[in-house]
Amino acid sequence: MTTQGFTRNRAVVWLVVLVVIVLLMALASLLTSGDKVQGVAPIGVTAIGLIGVFAVYLVTARSEAWVVGTRQVVYMAIGAALYGVFNYIFNTIPMPSVSQVSLRPAVCIPIFFGYVFGPVVGFFTGAVGNILGDFLTGWGVYPAWDVGNGLMGMVPGLVLLFADKKRSLNFLTILVAVLIVIASALIYLNPKVPGPWTGEIEDFSFWAWAFIIGGVVVIIGRFVLERFASIDLAAINIWGTLGIIIGIGFAALADIWVNGYSFATAIIGEFAPAAGPNILNAMILTPILLAAYQAVQARTGR
Amino acid sequence: MLIAWRYRERNTIIQRLDPRARIIFMLAMLFSIIQFWDLRITLLFLGVAVLQYALARLTWRETRRVWILISFIILFMTILTFLTGRGGVEYAYHQEHLIRRLGLTLPIVGWQVHLDVTAEKTIFAISQLARMYAITIMAITIPYTVDPSLYGVTFRGLGLPDKFAYAMDLAFRFVPTLGRDFSVTLDSQRARGYEVEKLSGGIVAQIRRLAPLLVPVTINAIVGAEDIIDAMDLRAFGVGPRTWVHELTYRRADKLLIAAGVLVFVASIVLAFLGIGKLWVPEVLLRLATG
Repeated sequence: MTTQGFTRNRAVVWLVVLVVIVLLMALASLLTSGDKVQGVAPIGVTAIGLIGVFAVYLVTARSEAWVVGTRQVVYMAIGAALYGVFNYIFNTIPMPSVSQVSLRPAVCIPIFFGYVFGPVVGFFTGAVGNILGDFLTGWGVYPAWDVGNGLMGMVPGLVLLFADKKRSLNFLTILVAVLIVIASALIYLNPKVPGPWTGEIEDFSFWAWAFIIGGVVVIIGRFVLERFASIDLAAINIWGTLGIIIGIGFAALADIWVNGYSFATAIIGEFAPAAGPNILNAMILTPILLAAYQAVQARTGR
Repeated sequence: MLIAWRYRERNTIIQRLDPRARIIFMLAMLFSIIQFWDLRITLLFLGVAVLQYALARLTWRETRRVWILISFIILFMTILTFLTGRGGVEYAYHQEHLIRRLGLTLPIVGWQVHLDVTAEKTIFAISQLARMYAITIMAITIPYTVDPSLYGVTFRGLGLPDKFAYAMDLAFRFVPTLGRDFSVTLDSQRARGYEVEKLSGGIVAQIRRLAPLLVPVTINAIVGAEDIIDAMDLRAFGVGPRTWVHELTYRRADKLLIAAGVLVFVASIVLAFLGIGKLWVPEVLLRLATG
């Protein structure tokens, strides 16, 4: 059996085990009126996420983007070391900050490594780099944030699954449009739900408009960047932003279950202060890094 | 810039344990703690975490900065959860007993703002503090007590494929070199008049001005990587299973630690399944509410 076949078989076994555990938890939840199995909600959400990631892998298993050879191993190590060192340095040397936006230049490293060298390198750079940075500063180990940082690097790497960058952007545009239609329709169908801040029934139909406006801005932004800058600039910025939203979003929402935050605390206290500045830093620095890399690549021919 | 690891040899019980056993124990404790909101149970976990910290013999001097930062974050997040209404997960509590309603009228706009202090919200905040400190104390001890040269072999021993474990090992080895490269770049840029401490302009300009530090170090590392890739390919990297300089072997104490971790985790799942460990509200708080 080839190594790839063995890995896939093992992955299928683990997936089956996971599905069985989730089914057992769900069954137990049904038999005990739900509230006795406290862990069923987070396990269910995690399982759906893992099944989603696994489905993406299965569909794209033959893609070169998932190959891990010597080159990827070295870039994984360099990316993680750079992310860890920059995290440590920019956390310890006195840096100015403007208003509530802190300077976090290190965030461009996992996005750049993911975008250029693929999703595996991106995930490793973000996850292990975060562990390294936390070790250097002495902060400890926080698995949810390590995975969140990994996702931040992995998502931009998914661009390599497409034949070219333009197709990846077309796919993202369609995805954003479909998600907005679904989210808006769900809100309109059931606009009155308990508010995360107060727990009282509130009308959330405003958020449907917020989604529509946000989505339109993203789609227009894509075409403006593509038209007036370059396809690479548009792709790295949009995939990078998506990576930050998914990665930081995952870590912040995981803390609702890990630390017991309210939804508002997770969003106001963690997601917004981390994702906002990260997006700004990444949108400015990653294209500069990419341009420098492409110049070196053109000169050396590698 | 000298980048130093937090680890140093202390000859303690904790450091004599196999790092794999310690990581398994830490994860088992983490996944056990998050099943409970009962303060009495959370305090037990906090006790285990404090015991581990004490056995590691870490001094206040070496951990002071981390403690201040982490305590600030934990307190801030707890207060924010307390202020934003129904704190925590939905199943933590459904009914609330009001102790006191605090209110004020904002000057100029005249808006009425009120905060309900309830028995459930108060005990939830205390449990949340205990839970977050227990998780943090467990996590903090690792970087100070696990030798960085053992991470590759440790994660290989935990089931990570050879290539990933090797990449991890390599990453830890690159840190001092990249720290030195950053230092050389910073000095070179300073010689040209660059002042990282005095970046001026708006936020976009300030971020852009960090590029002269970030780009040379990153590109230099990528260019240098080609030689490492060639050297590894010439030595047929990845063709067969790897051997490691350090060998880790489980001893009796390590096996006991893993068994204890697994036992606590299984017990936690059973207790949670039976509905034990939900938010516990002390009588005294309920009396305050009704009184």
